[in-house]
Amino acid sequence: MEWEEAPRQHYTENEKQLIFNNEFMPHIHSMYNFGYRLTLDRDDAKDLVQDTYLKAYRFIESFQKGTNAKAWLFRILKNSFINDYRKKSKEPNKVDYQEVETYYNSEEVDRLITPDLRVESLKDMMGDEISNALNSLDVDFRTVIILCDLEDFKYEEMAKILDIPIGTVRSRLHRARNLLKEKLKSYAKTMGYNNA
Amino acid sequence: MATPTNPFIQPDGKKPTCMEMLQLIIDNQVTEEQRLYFSQHMGHCLPCYKKYNVDMAIKELLQSKCCGGNCPDDIVAEIKLKINSMTA
Ligand SMILES: [Zn+2]
Repeated sequence: MEWEEAPRQHYTENEKQLIFNNEFMPHIHSMYNFGYRLTLDRDDAKDLVQDTYLKAYRFIESFQKGTNAKAWLFRILKNSFINDYRKKSKEPNKVDYQEVETYYNSEEVDRLITPDLRVESLKDMMGDEISNALNSLDVDFRTVIILCDLEDFKYEEMAKILDIPIGTVRSRLHRARNLLKEKLKSYAKTMGYNNA
Repeated sequence: MATPTNPFIQPDGKKPTCMEMLQLIIDNQVTEEQRLYFSQHMGHCLPCYKKYNVDMAIKELLQSKCCGGNCPDDIVAEIKLKINSMTA
């Protein structure tokens, strides 16, 4: 996945079309879902996807045919979101949270703050709860969950897509999962699982 | 009796904690060998067993409920139209 270092490619018009249709377009549904989960708005997602694909085409010669197109596209979309969309949106500045990379040493603390949700209470969640819980997370936390759980990216790919170190990917995922669990636990409580 | 080598052990010899192994499992960043080792480990580690089940249930819920929504056809058509006008 060395798209930054990859030498500029030279493609004929026909090759460009082939790459675009065979390597880029198959990811459009994942891209749309990513855009929607980031913006929480269908129209914004649509704009973001369209913008990403047009950029991908314009910069197609910095993509090396046959490499990781999906991660490359996700990175463009994420950058467009930060540069174009996030600036315009009224979303408050991202929460100032500390990226702790030594969090593994605090297992005891972790056990205390990690809510013990029960599998049974999760089974009754019909769909809106999980979606709302995910959407309620700060966008940086939401993003790592999407990349990992919905798109199955590897740490290294996520690090490249997000321009952050692998250690940060891991700690962010860890915190995101805890936050998500807390949210779900509060839903479970309102559903009547008092000991959820 | 020889105990199987823990495939989670780092090249520097550092032994992973339960939490570290569990995170790699939940994040789906493991080899088949590591997955096998962990499922055996869960057989005699109740905290891992419990946390694994809850975390996996959440992950499965996410995958079944938050992936939906195909990209509308008109976007696909619009993109293709714009690309064609760029190449023309
Ligand atoms: Zn354990």
